[in-house]
Amino acid sequence: MDIRWGAAARRSIVATAIAALLGGLAFPAAAQQPPVRIGVLMPTKSLVGKQGQQGAVVAAEMINADGGILNGRRIELVVYDTNFQPAEGVGAAQRLLNQDKIKFIAGEISSTVALAVVQLAQANGALFMAAVPKHPDVTASGYDRVFRLNSTTAMDARDFDAVLTEKVKPTKVAVLAENSDFGRLTIANLRKLFGSKVVAAEAYDMTQNDFSTLVTKVKGSGADLVCIAGSNMEQYGNILRLMQELKLDAKRCVMPGILNSEGVRVAGAAADNAFSADIYVPSLDNPLNKRFVAAYQAKYKETPEKIEELGFESIWLLAQAMQKAGTADDPAKVAKVLHDNKWDTPRGVVAFDKNGQAESGALINLVVKDGKLVPAP
Amino acid sequence: MDIVFQQIANGLSVGMGYALVALGLSLIFGVLHVINFAHGETFMIGGLVTLIATSLLGVPYLLALPIAGVAGALLGFAINHLAVQPLLQRRDGGADVLLATFAVSILIHQAVVVLWGPAPARIDGLAGTIEIGSVVLTSQRLFVLAVGIAFLVALEWCLKRTRFGTELRAVAQSQFAARVVGIEVDRVNLRTFVIAAVIAGVGGGLLSPVILYSSLMGQVVIIKAFVVVVIGGMGSIVGAVVCGLLVGLLESMLSLVTSEGTATAIIYSLLLAVLLVRPYGLAGKKAR
Repeated sequence: MDIRWGAAARRSIVATAIAALLGGLAFPAAAQQPPVRIGVLMPTKSLVGKQGQQGAVVAAEMINADGGILNGRRIELVVYDTNFQPAEGVGAAQRLLNQDKIKFIAGEISSTVALAVVQLAQANGALFMAAVPKHPDVTASGYDRVFRLNSTTAMDARDFDAVLTEKVKPTKVAVLAENSDFGRLTIANLRKLFGSKVVAAEAYDMTQNDFSTLVTKVKGSGADLVCIAGSNMEQYGNILRLMQELKLDAKRCVMPGILNSEGVRVAGAAADNAFSADIYVPSLDNPLNKRFVAAYQAKYKETPEKIEELGFESIWLLAQAMQKAGTADDPAKVAKVLHDNKWDTPRGVVAFDKNGQAESGALINLVVKDGKLVPAP
Repeated sequence: MDIVFQQIANGLSVGMGYALVALGLSLIFGVLHVINFAHGETFMIGGLVTLIATSLLGVPYLLALPIAGVAGALLGFAINHLAVQPLLQRRDGGADVLLATFAVSILIHQAVVVLWGPAPARIDGLAGTIEIGSVVLTSQRLFVLAVGIAFLVALEWCLKRTRFGTELRAVAQSQFAARVVGIEVDRVNLRTFVIAAVIAGVGGGLLSPVILYSSLMGQVVIIKAFVVVVIGGMGSIVGAVVCGLLVGLLESMLSLVTSEGTATAIIYSLLLAVLLVRPYGLAGKKAR
């Protein structure tokens, strides 16, 4: 593992070096100023990691196209792979801190990696802008230079519970949840919310691939709302398909933050009218989002979704805060500016609470219509 | 009561999925006396080839199945020549083959993830559903059941009625004796391996519309298939199919009265019990 990591790291150093060199050639005036270097941690070999990294790259390119920050200094990303492993994440963060002398770290998907990086950042006085990790403890360290952009499961529930109890108003609820922290937490939360109205709550193994018996059981329970809490798209896609096959005529919701257009594609027509909620959809109507979506589509020929947006936001916000603080070397000052201000992002205005948790207002309610994930009317 | 009948239909359908993988695994064990760990990946490649044929090349689903079978055959041929035949002659050949095919399975899986990508995908199989009373079964699931039974019948006929079948049974009983009477053991081994791989390839094509194609589908299914093979009796063709159906049925019936987790625990307890009490399996013969 170490050897592979080393090779990947070397490659990314070479890549950034070449990028810096080309950048220097292309903009001789800006080359006189040293670039602002920001560390990016991501499980770059995975699909989600790549999505997050690409979002970050688009942010850096947009800022540089605008002439950089702090009087023309360009943003330069130093990207390392964390491979979802805390040990590799720590290695990568140490490299950023000790070898590359970088005090600003952004990114990451995995909560366990992020929790390890938080400690390292604290020990080194660095600023850590966690993009996607969802575990509540990421912002529970008390260290004032840790920020987290994604919503937590508790925040999702706060908004989504109201949708379920006030808009959907089910009489009988069934829950199908993956057998993980997230799945079990969701079952507990829905039991608390609906009490004896929960007529079936089933946990399925994260490797299971045929859900006919489970869905038949749910059908037998007579539930008029089925909630799915599992992040594997082949699993929730399959569950949705079986509900259609077995003619289970209930409202279907996928718990917030899980459903994406790839999952909708996998489920096909069976996903129609399923509803969910999330912090971001690419169709949001604000100038920064339109610019971000257009830039991303131009570069990667795909429409960015939440993970890409959070990757973008982690770099975008750091750069804006550095600009406002007038420094790219003082994490304390930049952290204070981040805490004290409200920030424009593609998903809307973001503000941080005292623990560094980002808030962007209520979740956006989503529904699947004709194979597309769109904001609910 | 309706729900019981629906669960029986579900159980048979799920069980035939296990059986289709267990069939080839058992066949290879019966003849070559080795465990082919790469069998699940052959199944996955069958699904992938069906996906590529139907979604990228526009081949009709029913025509994609034989293509998946051919892909399985080619892969089986390659695995046999790379990781099975050269190791079989060694003194601890069986253990070496187990390890070598395990390595091949990881190689195949990683190659697919790197070259094709990790994303799962939907394959549209036969359209429509069939309803008997309140029991609903999709045409695709019925089709899987029918093809599974057809495979079993064809294989049994082949074993009992053809010259190749006689040779195969002779090799299964004793390689040495088979060689003495002039049977080309290596050729029988190769054919057995390829037949098993064809069933796995077609099986992947049959089941991927039901369970969705995923690069992990082989790893998931091979564990259950091992359970089925052990309970059914290593090397027993009928045992593999009957036991696959039984395990599927047992799972779905148990889920009526208990949680999925408990149902799985009961199945694995059964596996342990069979290994302790009837190590030759429910359908296997004692002497070998």
